Amino acid sequence: MSFIPGIGLVRGMGLTLRRFFQPKATIRWPEEKADVAPKFRGRLQLLYDEYGTLKCETCFQCAQACPIECIDMGGMDTKGRFHVHWGAAETYGERREESALRRSGRTVADPMYARYEAIDLAAVDEILELHDYDPKGMLAILEETQTAYGYLPVAALKHISRMTGAWYATIYGTATSYRHLRFEPPAVETAAPAGEAQRTIEAGYRSALDAALGYGGGRSG
Amino acid sequence: MTTLNRAWGHLTLTGKVVIPLLFLALVVGPIVTIFLATVVGPWLADVLGANPEIVRFVVAITGVLLFSIPAAFIIIYMELKVIAFMNLRIGPDRVGPKGALHSVVAGLKVLTKEDFTPTGADRLVFTWAPVIVFLTAVMVFLVIPFGPGLVGQDLNIGLLYLFAVGGMTVVGLLLAGWSSFNKYSLLGGLRSAAQVISYEIPLTLSVVGLILLAGTMSVYKIAEAQQGWFTDWYVFRQPLGALIFFIAATAEANRTPFDLTEADSEIVAGFATEYSGMRFGFLFFAEYVNVFIISALMTTLFFGAWNAPIDINSILARVGLSPVSVSLDPGSLGIGLLILLLVAPVLLTLIFAAPFYLSRSSRPAWQALVLGFLVFNLVGVMLLGLLAYIGWPWMAGLTWFMLKSFLFVYVFVWMRGTFPRVRIDQLMGFAWKWLLPAALLNLFVTAAAIIIVKS
Repeated sequence: MSFIPGIGLVRGMGLTLRRFFQPKATIRWPEEKADVAPKFRGRLQLLYDEYGTLKCETCFQCAQACPIECIDMGGMDTKGRFHVHWGAAETYGERREESALRRSGRTVADPMYARYEAIDLAAVDEILELHDYDPKGMLAILEETQTAYGYLPVAALKHISRMTGAWYATIYGTATSYRHLRFEPPAVETAAPAGEAQRTIEAGYRSALDAALGYGGGRSG
Repeated sequence: MTTLNRAWGHLTLTGKVVIPLLFLALVVGPIVTIFLATVVGPWLADVLGANPEIVRFVVAITGVLLFSIPAAFIIIYMELKVIAFMNLRIGPDRVGPKGALHSVVAGLKVLTKEDFTPTGADRLVFTWAPVIVFLTAVMVFLVIPFGPGLVGQDLNIGLLYLFAVGGMTVVGLLLAGWSSFNKYSLLGGLRSAAQVISYEIPLTLSVVGLILLAGTMSVYKIAEAQQGWFTDWYVFRQPLGALIFFIAATAEANRTPFDLTEADSEIVAGFATEYSGMRFGFLFFAEYVNVFIISALMTTLFFGAWNAPIDINSILARVGLSPVSVSLDPGSLGIGLLILLLVAPVLLTLIFAAPFYLSRSSRPAWQALVLGFLVFNLVGVMLLGLLAYIGWPWMAGLTWFMLKSFLFVYVFVWMRGTFPRVRIDQLMGFAWKWLLPAALLNLFVTAAAIIIVKS
């Protein structure tokens, strides 16, 4: 088409005419507000009270709750010389307890952050050695860990995090996003039986339930 | 006297303003009115009755001056809004409905700004240059026919006058650039002068073919010659001439893509660098009046002036109907007219309000009344406009003229929203290497065609 002289001008005019009739992109603030994502939290900022002291009590709750770990705790030391960073993000749960302890003088009981039980880590070490401590193969590592222990113990995850260098939150995120990975030992050890076997187990459950509820057996179905 | 003084002292500030005004209105006003009516009035009426041309001239120049202001306001608003729409923006929407009063407020802003004259500037020339630019723009209006009979002065050398007066803009631009005592202003002025003078030549030559065809230089007669169907418009007999005129007129009015004189995104504002306040306002105003003028000229010379594109009377005659004609003579109603004027608005407002009131029980009566009044106004204005369009040929002419002119204004704004600016050497090269030969070719071909047809 470019061999016709002046066709570019006409096409340009056509473009602007089309734009003339298209819907407009302007947001008429303040009557209209811009459409922001629901998880948008605005600008992160530490607030000061009326005496000029920071309101932040270093409770670590914000940092621990942050799903993408964008909040990090750090600051200047008391003499204003060095920048201090208060540990890795996965220790914030423990830090939070420390902070609560420091502020109130007693530990805040929180079962969510109860100390995990120690386990034998030899199997994890073996798996990690097999995968060359590479966090890229995290899914395979986790799957093999689950095969070894039957579930994913928190201690194993912590160990994997320490050895591979991947953040605990990342590993936890990987583990939670797959349905077949679990954090607790399964209620029924064997695979779910089908057919008559299933009926037998159900009958066992029902009689146990009846006994618990005090029906005393002989209940007609 | 002391009583009067004391009474004056008791007045509040408002009273001190209102009481003298009341005195002026109740005492001085009637005396002056009686004096004017008995002594000056008859004498003035005699003089003006003996010289109707003076009346016509004064009325025309006043009308043209008054018309140029809302026209420029509308064009400025249109430009802001249309370019915004083309940029997928909304544009001004804060002042007035849909921002319609934006340009008025901008004009007020210009009025309140400091009127600054740089040290070393030629004060007299600096002050008068914008006036020259503005007046040349307004003076051109005098020969433009807005409708049948609606022309300031039907000069028999109308086109010549048009280009002569329009060319005087260069003087204003040069004076503005020179008197600012600023090398950028001077360069900008010279640059714009070079551009305007260069494009003056193809502009004038492109119309010569049209003059040959029409056999007259009177703009009014050229407009009359295009009566009938739209195929009688000169654009179909002078397509090349129309194109050259369009391009050259764009350059004459300093519009994109030839707006190098004040390329607002590249150089300092050209000849207007040192101007501020209302002097800049005049230059700015003149620019938009010029836009209307070139649109009006395109309409008048090539697009049938005030004539409708379709000759409705010939269609009616072919179908077998007589042309619709309404004789507006409200005086024949006598006292009935007075009663109609008093009763009709109230009655019609009530009639139009009734459906609004009855359609929804939750609507308060005052809202229904307001809506009814608005509808009454709308219908009334539409009916009166239709009656005027049918009854008065000048009204129909004015409607079509304004419609076509503002269509061209839209095209100029559209171009501004689309095209990038040309370089100065491209600008000059285009004028001298392409437009001038094309204009000459158009002239020779037209002349040859006329000779062949005549012989």
